[in-house]
Amino acid sequence: MSGRPVSVTPSHVQGNGLSLTCRSLHSGYRDKPVLHDVSFTVDRPAVYVVLGPNGAGKTTLFRTIAGILRPTSGEVFIDGVPVAQQSSRDQLHYLSHMDGIPDGLTVRESLDFYAQVERATSADVERVLDQLEIREFSNTFISKLSAGQRKRVSIARVFLRERGIYLLDEPTASLDPKVAREIRSLILELSKDRIVLYSSHNLFEAHEIGQFVITLKGGALTLFDRMENVRSAHFIIGVRTLEPTPVLADWGRKGDYYVRELPGPEQVPTLIRDLEAQGVRLREVREMENPLEDLFT
Amino acid sequence: MSLLVGGGMVVFYSAAFGLGGPLFVSIGTVVLPVFAVSGGIGGALVFTNDRTKGVLEYLVAYGVSPRRILFNALASGLVQVTIILGVGITAGVTTYLLSGYALTLRLPETLLIYTFPMSYLTVCMMTTLGVFWTALSSPRSGMNSPIGVLPMVGVLPTAVVLVLALTFSAHATEIALGAELAIFLVVLSLLTRTDRLMPTERLLSPT
Repeated sequence: MSGRPVSVTPSHVQGNGLSLTCRSLHSGYRDKPVLHDVSFTVDRPAVYVVLGPNGAGKTTLFRTIAGILRPTSGEVFIDGVPVAQQSSRDQLHYLSHMDGIPDGLTVRESLDFYAQVERATSADVERVLDQLEIREFSNTFISKLSAGQRKRVSIARVFLRERGIYLLDEPTASLDPKVAREIRSLILELSKDRIVLYSSHNLFEAHEIGQFVITLKGGALTLFDRMENVRSAHFIIGVRTLEPTPVLADWGRKGDYYVRELPGPEQVPTLIRDLEAQGVRLREVREMENPLEDLFT
Repeated sequence: MSLLVGGGMVVFYSAAFGLGGPLFVSIGTVVLPVFAVSGGIGGALVFTNDRTKGVLEYLVAYGVSPRRILFNALASGLVQVTIILGVGITAGVTTYLLSGYALTLRLPETLLIYTFPMSYLTVCMMTTLGVFWTALSSPRSGMNSPIGVLPMVGVLPTAVVLVLALTFSAHATEIALGAELAIFLVVLSLLTRTDRLMPTERLLSPT
């Protein structure tokens, strides 16, 4: 599956009219080239999960798209307009892996600061205080917040004002699972009519949120495909039963689980029906391995 | 914090010199730029802190240019200098007048020729150097970091001018004006190199 770049072009999904194109992108830092000939176009609302091992170039890709790093060659376009132009950048929200919140301010003051930069209103600040559930510490100094709370304030910035394309670099890192799930659901909601590029080290999260997957390795694009295509090629299911059963004797074992590879997740309901018809009393059925792990190797 | 410390020190210092009458004009006003430097380091401090925290990366992504970030740091430093000089001169003049001394033309003359220009220019130079230095160097803290060394860089021109002016007291005014012109040219020269010395990638958080 890996190593085959796939061009994604609009077909049946109505987009918000925006497109993001990276064309033969080479970029990096003064003494360290990172991205090599990265080309892709996204032009439909969805979450595009950008995956890759450390140093693969995910953050560099986001920084280049955001116009922070200037490509050594190649270009980034938003709706055909080079990202170097401000009108193009105005279509983008960028959330770096750093919190990016000035010290010495309260939560509300820092959001007011961002609202000024974003040309958002105080009503927008009030809205995101509720949306991100940070109102209870709105008058607390940033330096007094936990890492998770700071991350929520940081994420709140991208909800201050709507834009067409969102670049989110590890937005749920250091968040507890509950908050991370809430953030993911906000992002999924957002992606109904927005393009969201979302980098993550968390493969299960990527699996859960992504409709498309983009993988980078050594600064090169190695895969761009629909998530279900990645899933269907490597779907391993695990079953735990209430008591031992000979029906599953020919399955593999992994800890307490009987495991088996299926052609895809759509086979799971049929399998469960078959097992129950054979008298197997199921305790748990789960996906055992994240197929995205293969993309890292 | 630097503003509070600098403000507190300058009030104490100026008020004490004001009690000495003419000493405030002859010595107090010429040492005021040293306090301005200690209080005016805030612009460079905020820049360094914002870079480390990723705030600058965010601003650049939203189209704020490095030049504007530098000018904001400069403006912040200059506002702090204004506060330091304001409270210092007010404290000095107040105790000077309360001690029964009459104001002479020498005071505004010294302030206009030396105290104000030297304070503003040295803080401009210190902030610009501090911002470029921070941007171009790897992050470190302590006395060998740009922020650790910066106050000494800021105080140096004032110290040199004072030594020269005392040594060649007949030419004190010319020495002060010459030093101010030299600092102005250094600052101007640095500012014209902003794009080269402050590329956006150097504003990224090092972590």
